[in-house]
Order: sequence, then C-alpha cells, then structure tokens
Amino acid sequence: MADSACPTDSRRCNYFFLYDGSKVQEEGDPTRAGICFFYPEETPLEQQELLCGQLAGVCQCVSELSRSPVRLLRLRGSKFAVRMKDHFLWAFSCPPDIPDVSVCKLLDQLISLFCFYNGPIRQSYQLHSRADLALRWARYLTHLQGGSSELHHIFSCLRTIDSTHIDPLLLLKAALILQACQRCPLVLAGCILYRGRVVSTQMPPDLTVKVMVHETESYSQQDHRPVANGISSACGTPSSSTGTTPVFLTPAELQALCCPPVNRTCRSHCTPQPPPRPRKSRLLSRTLSDTPPSELDAAKLDPAPTPFLCLSDESCLSPCPSSSQATTPEFSPLHQSENPCTTDAESHDHDLSNEIASCELEEEVVRGKMANGCSKKVELRMDQSKVEARGDLILQNGNGCHTNGYHQEPASDHHSDQSSGDEPPDTSHLKPLSNGAEMPDKEEKKKKEKANIKKDNQERDENRQANMKNSGRKIEVKDREGVGDGEMRENGMGRGESGEGESSEEEQVLLPRALYQHRVRALVLALLVEPHFHSDQAAVEEVSHSSLASLNGLEAHLRTSTPGGPGPHGPYTFAHYDCIQNTLTTNLSGRSVAPQDRSFVRATALLHSHFSQTQTLQEAIVRSAGAAVYSTRSPAQETYFLQHATSVRNSGIPNHLDSAFSLPNKARHRLLKHGVNLL
Amino acid sequence: MASKSSLLKVILLGDGGVGKSSLMNRYVTNKFDTHLFHTIGVEFLNKDLEVDGHMVTMQIWDTAGQERFRSLRTPFYRGSDCCLLTFSVDDSQSFHNLGNWKKEFIYYADVKEPESFPFVVLGNKVDVTERQVSSEEAKQWCLENGNYSYYETSAKDSTNVASAFEEAVRRVLAMEERGEHLIPTDTVNLHRKPRSGASCC
Repeated sequence: MADSACPTDSRRCNYFFLYDGSKVQEEGDPTRAGICFFYPEETPLEQQELLCGQLAGVCQCVSELSRSPVRLLRLRGSKFAVRMKDHFLWAFSCPPDIPDVSVCKLLDQLISLFCFYNGPIRQSYQLHSRADLALRWARYLTHLQGGSSELHHIFSCLRTIDSTHIDPLLLLKAALILQACQRCPLVLAGCILYRGRVVSTQMPPDLTVKVMVHETESYSQQDHRPVANGISSACGTPSSSTGTTPVFLTPAELQALCCPPVNRTCRSHCTPQPPPRPRKSRLLSRTLSDTPPSELDAAKLDPAPTPFLCLSDESCLSPCPSSSQATTPEFSPLHQSENPCTTDAESHDHDLSNEIASCELEEEVVRGKMANGCSKKVELRMDQSKVEARGDLILQNGNGCHTNGYHQEPASDHHSDQSSGDEPPDTSHLKPLSNGAEMPDKEEKKKKEKANIKKDNQERDENRQANMKNSGRKIEVKDREGVGDGEMRENGMGRGESGEGESSEEEQVLLPRALYQHRVRALVLALLVEPHFHSDQAAVEEVSHSSLASLNGLEAHLRTSTPGGPGPHGPYTFAHYDCIQNTLTTNLSGRSVAPQDRSFVRATALLHSHFSQTQTLQEAIVRSAGAAVYSTRSPAQETYFLQHATSVRNSGIPNHLDSAFSLPNKARHRLLKHGVNLL
Repeated sequence: MASKSSLLKVILLGDGGVGKSSLMNRYVTNKFDTHLFHTIGVEFLNKDLEVDGHMVTMQIWDTAGQERFRSLRTPFYRGSDCCLLTFSVDDSQSFHNLGNWKKEFIYYADVKEPESFPFVVLGNKVDVTERQVSSEEAKQWCLENGNYSYYETSAKDSTNVASAFEEAVRRVLAMEERGEHLIPTDTVNLHRKPRSGASCC
C-alpha cells in the first residue's frame, strides 16, 4: 500500500520519517530502534539510520542552542520540515521549489491527521505495533499527497466541489441537511462530501481535511461494490452504509465546534443549564435559531463518561497542570506581552534567528496552521520571542483570524473577558502543586511562562463557556489537585525530563469523540458526534431519518448535474485562495502541464511563500522575460493573476508603459465574473 | 423474495406546503415533523411493502413545490410509475393548481399515454377544521380528469396515508398487468422464430 503511495506525485515527498529518540539513549542503542516509520519504505536501513541519526542530532543541537524547536532544515538540495515533540521527531522532506510554508503545513497536517484517528502519538505506539501504524502513516501520506493539483498542494487547501457547475440551491440543500442533523444534541458538526470533495462543511478547514481521509478510505473500499443503497430499505434500521469510527479532537477544535461564531453572543448570555442532558431534540437547527447552551458543554464537565475524557478535559480547561504555583505575581506582565502593543517587534529579520546559516526557523509562518489552535500558538509565540521576535506578525494573526478565523478572537475581546472577574479564584487554586520545586531554574521559569499563557487561553475558553463556569470550575480544580502530574502519564505522555518536549503538552491532550459516516453511493455525510452516539439507538435513528431522504435526493442531483469541462479558459490564468475557508478557486485545469501554466504555478508558489513570510506585503508582481504574474492579498484571501498573450513591454527600468502595471486593473475586471472581488 | 420484489417509482407533486414531505415521512418512518424546511429539489425514500401478494419496493420521490425549484425537480419526473397529485384541503389554490401539476408531469415525464397513466389524488391536511376544498369538489375533479382515485389524508395524524400509497401501488400493478397482455402482440420472441430472414449481412 505504501509503495503505491505516489508513483506520480512522488516529487512532493522525498522522505518522511518519525523517529523516537527515547528508544536511542545509550551509546549502544542502534539508531534503527528509534525509527518508527520511514518513507519511502524501501529505503535501505543503513540509509534510513544515517538520515534519522544525523537529522535527529542536528535538530537536537539546534533546538538546544536556540532554545526553540526546529521547524525547517535545509540539507543540500532538499529541505526538511521538522517537528519535535517529547522524544519524537518528525521530518518531512520535499524538493526545494515547494514553499517552506507549504512543507511545514503539510507536515503539521500529517501529524494532526495521525493524532485525529489514533490519539496521542506516544499512546498509539504503546497500543499498536509499528507495522500497523506504519500502514496508517503511509495511508495519510498518500492521502495528503494524492489527488489534487499542484496549486492545491501549494496552499494545502481543501478540495471542494466545483460550485460553478452545480445549482447553488444544492449547496443550500447540503447545508440544511447538516443543520437538520445538528438537531440531535449528540451531533457536534458535520460535513458533506461528494466523490472526495467538500460540498458543505460546518467544521473548520483543518478538521474537514481530517474527516475526509476516512471518507476517501471507505470510498475506495466500497468502490467496486454493487450499489445497493438506493434500493435497500430505508425504513427501520439505517442502511448498511453507515459506520462510526473513534477520533480524537484537540481542545481547540472541540471548542470551535461547540461555539460556532454565529452563536457566541447568544451563548454568553445564557444562564447555566443543569447537567442532565436533554434527550429531546432541538426543534430548530443551531444556525437558524437561538439555541440553548451546547449540551456538549454539559457533557464535557460531566465526570461520568470516561476517565480519559475527564482527565483530558481537566487539563484542557484548568489553568495548568504543574509548576504554576507562582503564576499569580507574574501573570500580568506576561499576559501583557501577548498584547500587540508590547511585543518586541524590533527584529524582523528571521534569518538572524539561529545564527546557523543552514538552518532556518520559520515557525511564524506555520504557527497559524498548527492543529491545536490558539493555545499552542501562544506558547510558541513565547518560545520564540526569546530568539527571534516577529511578534507583530503573529499578533496580526491573532487579531485578524488569518488562519484560524473560526475560533480566534481579537485581543481586545480577550482582555474584556479577563476583566470579567473570574480569574482570581483560579490562580488561588494553583498553589498546592509541588512538583515545580524539583525543576531546574530555567526550566521552571520557562514552564511558568508557558503556563501563564496557557492559562490565559484557557481563561478565554472558559469565558466562552460562561454558562458552565461555576459548576465546571469546581470539578476541574478537584481533578487537578487529585491527579497532578500523573495525568500526563495517564495519557500516555510520560514527559521527558529534558526540555525537549517543550513544544506543548496542550497538544497531547486529545478528547475522544466519534466520526459517524453515512454513505449514499458517492455522497457521504460525515458527522462528529459524542462518543456514545452509536450506542444511542434513538439518536442514530433520529439522524438517519432526518437526513436519509435529503441525502438520497442530493446524491441524485449531484450525479445528474453535468460536470462540465473547465469551460472557456479565457486569456488569463488565475488562482484565488480563501485563507479562511482554506479553499481555492482557479481556472487552471487539474494537472495541466502547459509551459505557461507551469510558470504560473511556480510564480504562485514563490509569491505565496513571500506573502506568508512578509505580513505587510500586499501586492507583488513577479516576472520573467515572457510573463508577469500579479498577486494581491488581504487577511482573508490571496489572488494570483496571469494575463496571456501580451507582449511584456519591459524596458528594465520603471516605466509607465510597462505592461505589468496594467495587470492589477485587468485582474480586478476579469476576476469579477469568477466571484473574486478585488475592488 | 427479494428477487421477486420490483422497484416502483412513485412521485409526489403539488404546491409548496401542502405536505408532500410530511406524507412521505409519515409513511416511511412514521414520524411527523412540524419544522420541516422547504424541500429543495427532490428527495426520496424507499419502502418495502406487500400489496395483494406482490412484494414491491416503492421508491417515493418527494419534490419541491415552489416554482423556483422547478428546474431542479423536473428532470426527475422521468421513469415514474405513478404520480400522486397532492393538494391541501385548507388551500383552494393548491387544489386549483392540480391541473397544472398534471400537465407539468406529463410534459417532463414524457408520458406516452397520458390518458391511462396512473394518477392518484391526495387531499392532505384533513385534520384541519377550516376546509376550503370540499370532498365533493375534489371527487368531481378526479372523475372529470380520468377517474383518478381520491384519498383524503392527514400526515399529521396518519389518516389514510398508508392506504393512499398502497392504492398507488395497486394502480401501477394493474397497469402492468394490462401491459403484460400487450407484450405478445408487439414483441418478437427470438427463441421461437429460428430467424428465417437473417440475411442482413
């Protein structure tokens, strides 16, 4: 399976490996003992060892020197996106012409995909054999690489259905199906996919990508099965094409699902709801009506469901698990440092960061896409501010929902949340913890800082769940005191005593949920549900009844809508990337390799890379002797435009007759009819 | 048993809001939802049932009644075995539109013999007290338009829903039986005739 990973697309991934440093501690330990997965799998073991050993060494060294995790390494002709956590090291290499930001994003996607389906990494390797997990890594790798065009790879964007060829009412229909499903309180959010493409989704893009992997898998499994679905009985039990699989969400993801932006204001005004969960379904869907506070919140604080869940929730919601006894005095200043005004923004030169020429840290560009969302982001921010301060950039992200627009709030919001006055009790609860005393000084300090920031975020999270606040906190505190540091071990996360696992413990907290999937031929309804959903016959039936007829209909509609060719190409090529929804609109046909298209793709990659590095850059033109690509961006979108068949009048010096200067105007006018508004 | 079961396509047509989706849901899942949104385009559910000793799978197609969804629904008329023309007894306009629905169906379904095509007329919402269409009026219309069966139903309290759909099946089966008599006359049995005129090549 893994061998067939990508015969055609293999240009994209040269190497990918996961190395477990904890298995190689002594001089005598062979390097191979630490190699959990190596792609391509047919690589000779000696070569695997060489690469893993060297990279692990370099990364360890650099991160210790810089006190900042390594994100990107250049090694001869290729570059490696690197991720380090606990003793684990992931490295993903690809050809140098792929933008740094894309490589890092891809690696993050890959890791978070794995965790989504398998839970925390350490735990998975305790529960399953390496061979089993290797298969899964290979599968995820294949999924992320396969199928889409090079442009999609550059932006790591979602593959969406071509909405220009279907009736927009069908998109509405899909959205309504999802809303109808949400009337069941055990359903968090869903998405509808057709032939591996998104028709409609209620989830943030990062989560949708993950859900799609399972869809694609089950689709390929069912591919050649006779289609019995349309004919099978629809009444009574749901048809055989439904299934549930366990998944793991990060607290941030769950938060985003529980509090869709639309309802936030409503929710914050809601009064506390008693824990007993209403079994009665909502009459109106969430987005159409005022809904009571999410039942999920109640579920989260309910200690009953599973011990794992409790622990995870605790660490997600409580201020911090350890070493935070001294947080109170330090809290304010550190908290301030997150504020845009106070961040040290003096150094914009990220190349200075490590003073090691061959090694570039580019955390800031990928930070936004990390799977674990805001908490993680802030942590890194802190780590980084010691080495290279590009805080201004980051804070723009935080404010402008550049990437995680779904659950980020402006900093001002955040502050007002804090002033609401529920924070002091929290900090006072933190005192009894003891293990911080055993820590080396620096370590402790660092952790403290982190803890503060984390707390900060949790504070915010808590405030969002204002309705549950009071009852919730008591449970949290009790749990935390009882469990203390042990929780991490419980989660299979024995943290290394060295500082290596610095990156996050937040991330390791994953909350078990389930992915329910209902397939009607090529159409799939995928819902993230509470873990006990599938054992709740009434709930399953309710969801099935409310969606089956519409799914049947939608499938029939989509099947009969003519896919239509790419249409008249027009004398231009464009790509429009929506950063919020993580989608791409382009008139470049799938895998075209026309020379002009090639140069467009290359220019796009280059410009996208620049945009991600330079937050202040808004417009740019790159040109060769024969073509010029214009690009413009806002916090929400990036647009790339190439005009064909113009003689590029280029005198070599700034000249108002230069045809490149007419590009912005052309782009504005031409792209209007594609629904891209640059005016 | 399953092999003998045949698939019948039955389509519900009528003005928006007369209760087509509710009728389908009531019949197939025995549920009634007061908060259904407009149907967009078409939807369908399957239901296995036995009528007069015949096992059939009825595929019930529910359509959007609103004019603006017309282009979405009409492609799915083709291949229908029976059409359920639906109106609401508390909405006379929906009753007056029955003729238009019939015309639209015959046109888009490309019905070869409209006179003999099985239509069933449903007057839904009989649980409502303020009627605008009397039973007699409706029956009169059915009589004049081709002697269609008429059922007064209520998806809300389940009145007559099952019998209306079963009647649709009976109509189709009756049509098919009539059709079977015709088969020998206009088809050629290849086995019986040892191809006397095989001289085309």
